[in-house]
Amino acid sequence: MRTFLTATIGGLSTAAIYAITASGLVVTYTTSGVFNFAHGAFSMMAAFMYWQVHVAWGVPTLPAIVLVVFVVAPLFGALIERVIMRGIEGTSEVVKIVVTVSLFVALLGLANVIWPPTQSYTVLPFFNNAALSIFGVKVGWARLIALAVALAVAGGLRFVFTSTRLGIAMRAVVDDRSLLQLNGGRPGRTSMLSWAIGAGLAAIAGVLLAGEQTLSATTLSLLVINAYAVAVVGRLRSLPGVFVGSVILGLLVAYGQQYVSSEAAIGPVSLSGAVTAIPAVMLFVVMVLQPQDRLEARGATRVPTAARMPSMKLALWGGLAFVLVTAALGNLIAGPDLFKVAGGYLFALVMLSLVPLTGYAGQISLAQMTFTGIGAVAMAAWGASGSPLAVVASVLLCAVVGAVVALPALRLSGIYLALATAAFGLFCSAMVFNQQDVMPGLSRQVPRLALGPFKISSDYQQLVLLAVTFALVGIGLVALRRSAWGRRLAAMKDSPVACATLGLNLTATKVAVFALSAAIAGLAGSLAGRTFISDEFGLPASLPVTMLAVVGGIGSVAGAFMGGIFLGAFPIASTVFAANAIGVFRFVSLPVTDLVAFAPGATGVSLGREPDGAAPQMAAGFRAVGESVPSLVVSFAGFAALWLLARLDVVGGWAFVAAVLVFVLAVVPLLPLLFNPEDMGRKLATGIFVGLCTVVTVFIPWDTAIASNGMRALVIVLWAVLVVRTAIGVHGAVPDVVPRGPRTSPDMVGIDTPLTRADAVDAGRVLGIDEDELDLVTGRSQ
Amino acid sequence: MSDHVPEPLLELRGVHAAYGSIEVLGGVDLSVPPGTVVALLGPNGAGKTTALKVASGQMVPTKGSVFVAGRDVTGVAPEELARRGLTTIPEGRGIFPNLTVRENLQMATYAGVPLGRVEEVAYERFPRLKERRSQLAGTMSGGEQQMLAMARGLAVEPKVLLLDELSMGLAPLVVEELYGIVAAIARSGTSILVVEQFARTVLGVADVAAIMVNGAVRRVGTPSQVEHELSTAYLGG
Repeated sequence: MRTFLTATIGGLSTAAIYAITASGLVVTYTTSGVFNFAHGAFSMMAAFMYWQVHVAWGVPTLPAIVLVVFVVAPLFGALIERVIMRGIEGTSEVVKIVVTVSLFVALLGLANVIWPPTQSYTVLPFFNNAALSIFGVKVGWARLIALAVALAVAGGLRFVFTSTRLGIAMRAVVDDRSLLQLNGGRPGRTSMLSWAIGAGLAAIAGVLLAGEQTLSATTLSLLVINAYAVAVVGRLRSLPGVFVGSVILGLLVAYGQQYVSSEAAIGPVSLSGAVTAIPAVMLFVVMVLQPQDRLEARGATRVPTAARMPSMKLALWGGLAFVLVTAALGNLIAGPDLFKVAGGYLFALVMLSLVPLTGYAGQISLAQMTFTGIGAVAMAAWGASGSPLAVVASVLLCAVVGAVVALPALRLSGIYLALATAAFGLFCSAMVFNQQDVMPGLSRQVPRLALGPFKISSDYQQLVLLAVTFALVGIGLVALRRSAWGRRLAAMKDSPVACATLGLNLTATKVAVFALSAAIAGLAGSLAGRTFISDEFGLPASLPVTMLAVVGGIGSVAGAFMGGIFLGAFPIASTVFAANAIGVFRFVSLPVTDLVAFAPGATGVSLGREPDGAAPQMAAGFRAVGESVPSLVVSFAGFAALWLLARLDVVGGWAFVAAVLVFVLAVVPLLPLLFNPEDMGRKLATGIFVGLCTVVTVFIPWDTAIASNGMRALVIVLWAVLVVRTAIGVHGAVPDVVPRGPRTSPDMVGIDTPLTRADAVDAGRVLGIDEDELDLVTGRSQ
Repeated sequence: MSDHVPEPLLELRGVHAAYGSIEVLGGVDLSVPPGTVVALLGPNGAGKTTALKVASGQMVPTKGSVFVAGRDVTGVAPEELARRGLTTIPEGRGIFPNLTVRENLQMATYAGVPLGRVEEVAYERFPRLKERRSQLAGTMSGGEQQMLAMARGLAVEPKVLLLDELSMGLAPLVVEELYGIVAAIARSGTSILVVEQFARTVLGVADVAAIMVNGAVRRVGTPSQVEHELSTAYLGG
């Protein structure tokens, strides 16, 4: 009885913290329409900030709390709204999710840079852990404070949102932003305020958590999964629902910790991670119990440009060229570098799995690495000899698991799929990948493929195998996109409502595409042919995959490759640049390795400015150079200057190559925009940025920094692409230089606006019909 | 003209506006004198709603200017205009569906009228709204929603009221009732600009009617003067 009471009271106080976190999440969601995946990261930042102010700088408790909760956090929230969230208004759900996920990754990276995890950070609980005796059970003051704060938060939020004009306006913003303006409200300020409140609530939770455990950035950030589980009880919108959910989850976790010992097991399955898995399980159960969502006829108001569909011929030749280039380049690379490059190709293959799911069908998954893990483990278990049959079996297993995971979430809106996959990732980390039988010693060797007598035996062969697989799957996806089923996916992405009225079974289609996606991710795992550790399959490993796939441009196979190489490149870049960090960036106190830690997240966040991804933006830039005389002049002058520098031996040969590449990829396509007189401030910033990057490129000692030629070439290309990507981020969306007319929603064409040839071509592009084919289809000639 | 012409409360002078590179308004001149109801009529795609968006500040004209009570307000944000007494009721239910009726009315108080007064006026005119004051506005019928939107126009006592497609999707009886209210608001001295596609309903209330075709005002006159021109404008004769 005594232990039960202790657990109950402990559970209730944990519930209080969940409730505070989740109400912050619900507040930002209901008042801005953005589900903030970085909410837990906000709490984490606040907890560390509190440590910094209170422990490191010695500020007394109360002023420290006031500073963190009421000053820093709200300002931070408002800043995030102003700089990032306002930019993604009206974009698709996928972009919104990816931007906040990127923010999560960026904050995690930033925290690891400011507060290196090598050190230990502890904060004493309030009142030095003094306790009060209730019914003979000792309860720490800190826990009582948490309970009191949660009740105060509940009351306060209720009051603000139902009884004050400001609170009502915050809800009104989500309903109809422009109508609020017409009423005389100021939506910009209202949204900033709601993000400030959300961040403040996150900070309260963070400060309350700080006393509970040694601070760990990842653990604290992932606590947000608990908040998801709780928020889902109230369909992400209701605050009373949040409180009910918190109590349920708090008690479940407390009883679990009390009564399930870490040695407990059901048969061979160890339950050591069961308590960690409770939120994920709860999330699924609640989701299954939810009634199906009503379809709502509201699309993204900012319609992204339709990705150009490559023709089959282009896909086949492109695939062949890709394999040949990889084979040639791989020959130049040796040793551990080859292994790292293969890692990048593996990521590219995993990201390819998101092309049908996210790019074609507009759904999202945050757990692709988990499916990769399932594929890898299944291959290790069934195909010790590297049999291709085991690969097939592993892939099928992943498809089935994917379908089962997606089914409950797919009946609901897109945000639930993201939540469900995140929870699934967490569940597998806690319950599958830490089992002794699954990953002995938390690592597992995936056998290399053997095709009859021929067995993959070297890293080089492995790289080529991955390239061939990537090319084949990529070609398959292009073919799929051009098929009737592919058109169905595109139609579903454009307008689920219209598809439903046509009699398309949305759930079945979504489940099928999700299964396909899981199968491709599993294929990547089963063909990996290397040793994995369990952390590589966790949620923190999956998030960057989804994020960079979208950054690369998820609508196309090439975009997936770009994203994969990006992700593979970050570790390469950090080893390459670590030695030279002082020399190159002497004027910046941050070493390059630290930049690398949060650069992926930062590039993802910049997506808010141009939701199409990088690849289409670069193409648009080149088309315009020929039309602008100053751009042509500067381009030629730049080349001449670089050539002169190289000729006079001021810069080395490799630096010349690198600088030319950066110049061609980053500077030249941006020139027409820079000479456009609008929005000078941002243009100036972009100009200075690309200029600096070119200069830095010239002075990096490429010849000595990297040993092998192939590696050097690869790193130079990556560096150039990174510069381009960041430059686009600094500048914001690259507008179409050739005027295309207003992008009215396809729904309105023919109703409010006349149907023009351009619309027909656009529609054809979405459907995978080329312009010349279009006339055949419509039976009209030009 | 030797007569003293009163300064219009709302005036568009040579307004050009475009969505992207497609020009929708090509030099619109329109004025709403104090205390009159001006009906802006025209076929689909003529640019009526765009003209209204320019007047309410939701769109900035590419050329030309907007004057309210003689002051140039081109480029002023819509919320500022709303606070200065220019009320706009946009096309298709100008309400917040996820707020209750009472909360919707509270949003009207940004224009400077206290909530008590707004509620008093709204409930007096539309007793139905009082019954439903704690109901979510989105769950009411189309007519009731439009009443709620009109209640705002009525209660904040604007100097200028802009109405877009009041009759859209509503039963003729409801439309008639709504236009009765428009007439009542006009009698209290408010200047009103009404955009309508279905002309008959509005001509009974309007003092002046303007016909817009292809992004320009083609004809301005009394309702009886323009009535016979309507069919040519609509059917492109």
